[in-house]
Amino acid sequence: MKINDLLPDFITRHVLFALVFGGVCGIGFILFLIEFDHYTSTEEFCTTCHSMELAAKPYRKSTHYNPKSGVRASCGDCHVSEGVISATWDHVMGSKDLYNQIFGPSYDDPIINALHLPEAAFSARKWFKKRNSATCKRCHVKQAINGDRPDTLQIHLEDAKDKSCVECHYNIVHRKIPDEKVFKQDKWNAMIEEEFGLEKGSADKLLGH
Amino acid sequence: MNRSKKTHLHLLAVSTFLLFSQSAFAAKVTLDPSSWGLEDGKACVECHSKSSAGLTHQWKNSAHAQANVNCLDCHQAYEDDPDAMEHEGSVIATIVSPKDCGRCHTTELKQQQGSVHTKAVSVIKNRMPALAEHFGSLSINDAGCAKCHGSEVIVKGDGTLDPSTWPNSGIGRINPDGSKGSCSACHGRHEFSKAQAREPAACTYCHSGSDSPDKSIYETSKHGMMYEAHKSKMNMDSDSWVAGKDYSAAPTCVSCHMGAAGKMKSTHDVGMRDSWNLNEAVSTKQYLVIFEDGEKRELSSSDPIPRKGESITKMDGSMGKVKAVASPKRRRSAMAKTCLECHSKNFANNALKQFDEVVELYNEKYGKPAQNIMQALYSENLLTPLPFDEPLEISYWNLWHKGGTRARHGAAMGSPSNTWKGIADVGELFYGKFLVQVKEVAGKDKGEALIKKYINESEHHNWLNSPNKANPILGYGKGISNED
Repeated sequence: MKINDLLPDFITRHVLFALVFGGVCGIGFILFLIEFDHYTSTEEFCTTCHSMELAAKPYRKSTHYNPKSGVRASCGDCHVSEGVISATWDHVMGSKDLYNQIFGPSYDDPIINALHLPEAAFSARKWFKKRNSATCKRCHVKQAINGDRPDTLQIHLEDAKDKSCVECHYNIVHRKIPDEKVFKQDKWNAMIEEEFGLEKGSADKLLGH
Repeated sequence: MNRSKKTHLHLLAVSTFLLFSQSAFAAKVTLDPSSWGLEDGKACVECHSKSSAGLTHQWKNSAHAQANVNCLDCHQAYEDDPDAMEHEGSVIATIVSPKDCGRCHTTELKQQQGSVHTKAVSVIKNRMPALAEHFGSLSINDAGCAKCHGSEVIVKGDGTLDPSTWPNSGIGRINPDGSKGSCSACHGRHEFSKAQAREPAACTYCHSGSDSPDKSIYETSKHGMMYEAHKSKMNMDSDSWVAGKDYSAAPTCVSCHMGAAGKMKSTHDVGMRDSWNLNEAVSTKQYLVIFEDGEKRELSSSDPIPRKGESITKMDGSMGKVKAVASPKRRRSAMAKTCLECHSKNFANNALKQFDEVVELYNEKYGKPAQNIMQALYSENLLTPLPFDEPLEISYWNLWHKGGTRARHGAAMGSPSNTWKGIADVGELFYGKFLVQVKEVAGKDKGEALIKKYINESEHHNWLNSPNKANPILGYGKGISNED
């Protein structure tokens, strides 16, 4: 008995070949995406852009880099969603950062970077909020938060019952930036000007205002 | 006849003064209770009773908690407030300034904002760096000076409070909202107790040590002695706290400087009843100038006295229109009024006279001659203008700022041991060090000429002109002489 006898008529040898080839390619593509997402989520990859190196500096001093537990969260653990489809989507969306890196303001310049940092923080916070802090929850489980204070668990289970992580916990990894509601650009600019020894008002010019 | 005329004048002066003070003891909050007890604030309490149980526990024991005033009522902020921050969905500020407290406590705010306490930064702004930086560093300023005087709180661009300026509960703190002072300087967080602020410790937290030795002065005064023995009878928790009516065991600092007594109403304008300036090289009696906006400043009796409606500079350098001027005499009669709840008029007036005489003695015998000699040395460039780089400057500083302050405050508050110790310290420094150093700095001839001019020809130092007048205090004539 030939294999052709078991298959419907429209599955010709060519179709069969195309299906097998397509399947293998598909699996290969998915495997590629998984590997790609993994690789592009690493600190090593992210910091190939100098601007990201500036973001990584405070991260390396944070408890997410140096936790007591030894479980280190890398860039993608927090900033890239779980699952190959979502992760790929995040990377596709993230490519606009790459576009800006190449064609936008010179983010590699620490001053320009610092001046634009609040925008980046606000959009990152929105991203986290929209996803109910999903990436935090990869590691953190509300029911298991036993802090230094006896009531830490109770606070998380009762007072923060309807809240997601980022609603309370922000400014814990990167440079401290106020909430968008109370953010004052002029004060931020003045601080950066002072920090880099710039003339008063030069931040506005650098921002192109 | 003459006496009764005087009494009438006296009464007139006091009643006019009271008009200025416009104060009421235990001022009740007039705001409608629906203005507080914010719904969102209840969640603050829930969480903070777990995350900072001590703080919440204090609040739970407070009059605020009883009146349904919660965390958010005091800590709420507008988004555009300089120190506003987002916290668990609410916009709040860490610092609760007098302006915030004054949303309800309007009378207290009005009194406090004009008080000498709110000038605690501006009064030393120009001279503080010399002491803090020459003897210490800026860190001494942050952890020392500014803790009592107050910091100028800086909100950084990232919304955080500059750690060199916060935490700070200094009495003259300049807040991000522009208001001055800190209610928690006396009413400790988070109970804000009246009783606690009436304790001498509320004041001596700062008014102690060599610069402001009032703690040791009060403790070694009759008032302090009585307080120590009768603490339990002070009725500190009472809502109304009028001397002679609600308590009589002893006066605390608050009783005389701010408290209600008889017809004298209580006030949060501490310093209003002080007729002398006791914290300068030479004491002067001081006028109290009240501006139309409620601001106040003091003027020495040697300064020209402004008229009503005239514009003069305020403590912060801006101009203000004069609303009224209270003379040193009026201020003194306000203070004397508080004495009368427990003392007879003669007793009180004589005690105050003894105080005045110590101040005048200090002024004439030490303060003025030392000041004149220093000015002569500065004007002839024998001393550099930089303070504290010459030992003579340190002696001069200690003379008036340490011993001189102790003697004058000691006399003001009836501590014989401090009055004596203060003046003895001044004398030791003056004769034993200051005059010697003057000759070192100016040279023998010039030094002696200065000393002759300002010292030897003064009746206060006449005793120096009788070197042969023996006295057994040092055992003159006793013991074995060299010839034996």
